[in-house]
Amino acid sequence: MKHKILLPVLAAAVSLLSAGCATNAHYIQTGGTQSVVNIGQINIQDYMQAADTMTGELLASGALDKVANPPAVLAISRIVNNTGQQIDTDLLTKKIRVALLNSGKAQTITTMGLGGTAEDPMAKGLQQENEFMNDQKTTRKPDFTLSGKIIQLAVKAGNTSQSTYSFQLSLTDPKTGLAVWEGEKEITKQGTRSSVGF
Amino acid sequence: MVLLAVAGCHTSMNTIENAQKEGPRQMISDQRIITDGRLAKKVSFVGINQTMTPGGLLKVQIEVLNCKRSLQSFSYQFEWFDASGMLLNNVASPTIPDQIEGGESKFISSVAPTPACKDFRVKFIAN
Repeated sequence: MKHKILLPVLAAAVSLLSAGCATNAHYIQTGGTQSVVNIGQINIQDYMQAADTMTGELLASGALDKVANPPAVLAISRIVNNTGQQIDTDLLTKKIRVALLNSGKAQTITTMGLGGTAEDPMAKGLQQENEFMNDQKTTRKPDFTLSGKIIQLAVKAGNTSQSTYSFQLSLTDPKTGLAVWEGEKEITKQGTRSSVGF
Repeated sequence: MVLLAVAGCHTSMNTIENAQKEGPRQMISDQRIITDGRLAKKVSFVGINQTMTPGGLLKVQIEVLNCKRSLQSFSYQFEWFDASGMLLNNVASPTIPDQIEGGESKFISSVAPTPACKDFRVKFIAN
């Protein structure tokens, strides 16, 4: 008899508890403390942290201030993905580009790209047309190129997984071929499974 | 068993540094708003110093101290304001997770995203 009463009560309690743990879809602050943290993946907060750190270091170095005609002109070169996942490196470089543009220290060329592929083909076409009509070169050569690499180092001890993501960037002066600034930001995550929140 | 587990959480740190400083820090006065007393008791603010980068950007450094004997996790976020006190939107203004060992004193620093930044605020939250 006792069991007959207890069982429905227990079932109701369990269903209430599980409902309490479930979360409906909701908005959170991008990269905020409620973000999902994955060990085997680069999360948005990792890109934000890497971009912020390296932009700060680049601006503080004064490398961009040494150009004859400021603001410095930047061309984006190859960012190698050496992680085990498919990533869009613009998640890193775009943040850096926007931050540098907002700082007033650098602008990025969008009519120039790796292998002659322009990021903005229409702007390139219009620029070429302009140069042809006016019979003069208007393209400003980049003062610097930005290249880099993203590396993942994964290790495991028992049930605990650990991944270190290394974001590496080099700012090269194409006139000399020398890297005038280099930055590296490492982010390490450890745990047994993914989690919500820091 | 419990004692061993507790002992395992305890960390501490000893440091040594040069006594005659070649580069004294330019400390500035600060204003603190504490709404998380528990975090403040664990991770306290020692002071803030600032400098200007060669490119005219404000660089800020905050010294925090773990008053406890165990590792503490927290996150922080910098906010920058212009001469009119308006918040400047920074595309990558991340909330940065950090850890501090028991008894450790560590520095947190950031560079203003533009020369227009004159003031700042740093938010700390316990993880």
